Amino acid sequence: MSEWRPENRDCSGDPAAYVLGALEPDEVDAFREHMVTCVVCRDEVATFERVADVLPSAVPQYRVPRSLRKRVMREVRAHPRAPEQPPRRAWPISLSLIPRPALAAASLAAAAVIAIVVIATASGGSGARLLNASVVGLPGSAQVRVAHGRAELIVRDFPSPPAGHIYEVWLERGSAPPAPTNTLFSVNSAGTADVGVSGSLRGVSAVLVTPEPNGGSPVPTHAPVIVARLD
Amino acid sequence: MRLVQDEGDARAFEVVFDRHADAAFSLAYRMCGRRALAEDVVQEAFLSLWRSGARYDPARGSVRAWVLRVTHNRAIDAFRRGAAKDSLDVADEGAAERVPAREMTDEEVHRREDAREIRSALDDLPSDQRQVIELAYFGGFSHTQIAEMLGLPAGTVKGRMRLGITKMRLALGEGTEVAA
Repeated sequence: MSEWRPENRDCSGDPAAYVLGALEPDEVDAFREHMVTCVVCRDEVATFERVADVLPSAVPQYRVPRSLRKRVMREVRAHPRAPEQPPRRAWPISLSLIPRPALAAASLAAAAVIAIVVIATASGGSGARLLNASVVGLPGSAQVRVAHGRAELIVRDFPSPPAGHIYEVWLERGSAPPAPTNTLFSVNSAGTADVGVSGSLRGVSAVLVTPEPNGGSPVPTHAPVIVARLD
Repeated sequence: MRLVQDEGDARAFEVVFDRHADAAFSLAYRMCGRRALAEDVVQEAFLSLWRSGARYDPARGSVRAWVLRVTHNRAIDAFRRGAAKDSLDVADEGAAERVPAREMTDEEVHRREDAREIRSALDDLPSDQRQVIELAYFGGFSHTQIAEMLGLPAGTVKGRMRLGITKMRLALGEGTEVAA
């Protein structure tokens, strides 16, 4: 199997193979990174996923065995999930904390989660809003929790940024160009990140996320992959 | 999916299970070829949804599509662990219970009509395109494995997948979507 190199490889066959689950595991990660910057592949995946999603309907339908239902529900009742965390206070991340690009992504995400958990135990928080964000052309989901004039970005099942890149959070106010924040992040191996967004939300109409070169950028160099409208 | 993620609500989860477990089991049974393995896959899929509290994003399709994607991924995981690959050609034990037409709800009747269209769109594909799609999606084989099996370049296999899935999209129309 050849190494996935977007700069010298024709990616036109990959979206279909991806939605059918036919890429090799290491190709999946590389292709997800590639999708961050390839709008053609993102669009094709979104289109082809609708076909892949209906393929299960083409198979003969069977009743799920009652014994299986009992087993699953017994497990569910035996292991109740913890209640959802109370609203968390935002935790600003400073650019100066980033030691080296490769380490920065993982350490920031991990540190943010730890800090949020610690702070959450000390603050109940109230009046929080949880807003669904649009994820543009990538798998995964994102939400923004807004409380006390601050925002926290909650990302699930999201691909890692492309090699040499990191996700940067921007705040958009009206028609002005998006303003950079000090918030840079990546996701862990499960595609998860809970990140406090630095800066006040006063006058902010949208929270955006773009992939940017490690260390961040003063202006967006890519189209947003997450858009959360606050108004 | 608020239904599932709200404070560990087991009863709400039960509703989700009852609505979508037949479809998940049918998919897993088709992929694994054996009832016991299909049950393991479905159990793992639903419990992973429960334990992770995975968030359902309505913008990315119906709950059913979400559940089926997780089931499909779990079956592929099982294949890659070597748990089910050997069983693909094993004869069905015949123990699974088909959904009888006379007991179907209106919703199930509607789904069956949709299923007929989807089956037809798949059957109408040129056989070389249908073959690679079925091997990939239902067989859980990677494109490199399929290329090896068929003695074709990997690029040809992926090209056939792309052509086939594009034709299915055109046959099924733009509104192709799994009902909730």
